[in-house]
Amino acid sequence: MAEPNTQQEPRSPQSVPFDSGKAYLGTVYAKALLGVTQNAGNTAEVVAEFDSLVADVLDRFPAFDATLSSLRVSPEGKLALLDKAFNNAQLSSRMSVTLLNFLKVVMRHGRLDCLRAIHRALRQLHDALQGRVAVEIRTAHAVGKDELALIADKLRRTTGLDVSLLARVDPELLGGLVVRVGDTVYDGSVRNQLSRMREGAIDATLRTLRETAQRFVTN
Amino acid sequence: MKFNADEIASVIQSEIEHFQTTVDVREVGVVLEVGDGIARVYGLSGVMSGEMVQFPSGVIGLAFNLEENSVGVIILGDYLQINEGDEVKALGRLLSVPVGDAVIGRVLDPLGNPLDGKGPVNTTERRIVETNAPGVAERQPVREPLQTGIKAIDAMTPVGRGQRELIIGDRKTGKTTIAIDTIINQRESGVKCFYVAIGQKDSSVANTIKVLEQAGAMDYTTVIVAGASAPAPLQYVSAYAGTSMAEYFMYKGQHALIVYDDLSKQAVAYRQLSLLMRRPPGREAFPGDVFYCHSRLLERSAKLSKELGGGSLTSLPIIETLEGEVSAYIPTNVISITDGQIYLQPDLFFKGIRPAMNVGISVSRVGGSAQIKAMKDRQVAGGMRLALASFRELEAFAQLGTDLDPATQARLDRGYRMVELLKQPQYQPLNVVDQVMVIFAGNNGALDQIPTSKVQAWEKAFLQFVRDQKSAVRTQIAEKKELTDELKNALKGIITEFNSTWKPGGK
Repeated sequence: MAEPNTQQEPRSPQSVPFDSGKAYLGTVYAKALLGVTQNAGNTAEVVAEFDSLVADVLDRFPAFDATLSSLRVSPEGKLALLDKAFNNAQLSSRMSVTLLNFLKVVMRHGRLDCLRAIHRALRQLHDALQGRVAVEIRTAHAVGKDELALIADKLRRTTGLDVSLLARVDPELLGGLVVRVGDTVYDGSVRNQLSRMREGAIDATLRTLRETAQRFVTN
Repeated sequence: MKFNADEIASVIQSEIEHFQTTVDVREVGVVLEVGDGIARVYGLSGVMSGEMVQFPSGVIGLAFNLEENSVGVIILGDYLQINEGDEVKALGRLLSVPVGDAVIGRVLDPLGNPLDGKGPVNTTERRIVETNAPGVAERQPVREPLQTGIKAIDAMTPVGRGQRELIIGDRKTGKTTIAIDTIINQRESGVKCFYVAIGQKDSSVANTIKVLEQAGAMDYTTVIVAGASAPAPLQYVSAYAGTSMAEYFMYKGQHALIVYDDLSKQAVAYRQLSLLMRRPPGREAFPGDVFYCHSRLLERSAKLSKELGGGSLTSLPIIETLEGEVSAYIPTNVISITDGQIYLQPDLFFKGIRPAMNVGISVSRVGGSAQIKAMKDRQVAGGMRLALASFRELEAFAQLGTDLDPATQARLDRGYRMVELLKQPQYQPLNVVDQVMVIFAGNNGALDQIPTSKVQAWEKAFLQFVRDQKSAVRTQIAEKKELTDELKNALKGIITEFNSTWKPGGK
């Protein structure tokens, strides 16, 4: 799941928590983790570490993810597994104590299946703290790098926030640009214009038909 | 007649020429789950309770439950076209329905879409479905009568304009008939009528519409239908939608009447929604706010103050009981909300007493102030409830078979005839003046010598006689709305004259 299929899933991953309950749990744990890291002053490192945990471990080794989430593996087994995987003296890079402790707490609460939700929430909260906002843009055709930079610049100036862009291609838009910030969508796509034009034409015809029906018939 | 395609093309062309490309800003969410008329949506973080949302298929929903991490939406339409993952758009508006003269004479669904095939509803005016009821200062006491045209009701449980009178009874006891009769009787009164059919068989609704059409009542009536096969959200919303359409006339200073047929089904629809939304169930599994659901609906019926035009909205909610159980949850709720109830009983119905109204426990808390003076007169309906009550006591006593003295026998005979006189065939409402005359006649012993089985024939012939030969007296009562001694004497004279000539036909 490094790069989701843009054709079939035109929604950004953060807006598709298939379990809203997990998303909620994720926010709770992410807030707690953020609190700890802020006290310790290592927020950026922990967030980067968590990014790598999801991208380089959970995504690459689904079996590991499944083992952590499984109810059939005892807590002791998971604890041993976590220590072995992330706190091994033989490893070149060890996980920070903060994140490892956090994982153990999550494990003790039996919520290791929510790791991705926690990560998503953490990213969002971290972005918000940094004054950064995740913006999804959708276009009918792939956009070049220069154009993307242009769009990002423009968005940065209008929102006044640092923008992290996520570009997607959706041929159904026909043309134009759709920008999504949080739950708000700014739709300038050709598809939208056409459908509104269609509605407008139907409305106008109906209105005229009601007001001056005679105009449309010849006896 | 030929259609002119060029004209249509020119309208579309001008629309396209003047089309302005603007960026469409909307707030969105994603459908997490759908089913049974509700959807759970993730996102829509700024949506407000009761706000309209739109699904990709064009179906409208209402934000019903705002939870910490999702929004519960009730779907007002076909929920089978909605899929998981669909984008939901907040419209930033509240649900509204078309109102005005254009809705009169139409059959509409709860969203105001026509169901009668008579083309679009030709109005630009709309009114929000959920509005606040008028406050204390905006009202005045109910005084003006709303004639139902049914003798038993107009005489003993009169309904005033702005009143809420509950019609309650088991199935098949004539609840709807009373409401329909009342609508038919508004032909000359100028009261706009609204009949909201909630959760009923479409065949019975079709039948009702036919009756209204035959009686010429569709000229001033709107029928709002959310049939038994309509999704629960539509059934729930229909009562409020109908009220909005009716309220329009009240705030215009006119008079309107609304019939909710029936509120038990609306409560059941609301229960379904609430349970699907996982709101905690209470008594009989109804949600805790089912009382509020009905009270805020019925509070919108009012008699507005003079400053606001003095318009009124009268409502006749209907409740169906099971086996006469009035102490069930919904019946007790609605009884306590309304200003009185008309209680219909199956045993009376099968005895042939129709309307099958139980006079003893039917009340109108507005009472005599919603009657014209002539009806209120002591010799007309004034003491009728008490007289009938004492008659029933006597009747029960007489069944023991003891010998009765002539005075008691006379009281019994009078009672039998009064009960007979209060019977009335369906869809034949009677003018209030006619009601006054026949009840006056009954109270003054005009029927004492008539066989009980001939009372209805007598009534018919008597009214015909007055119409044909003594219309002056009738007109005077209609104008004065009061029975002066002079008029009473004149009436007595007419009765004597009629009785001397009228012979009951063959056995």
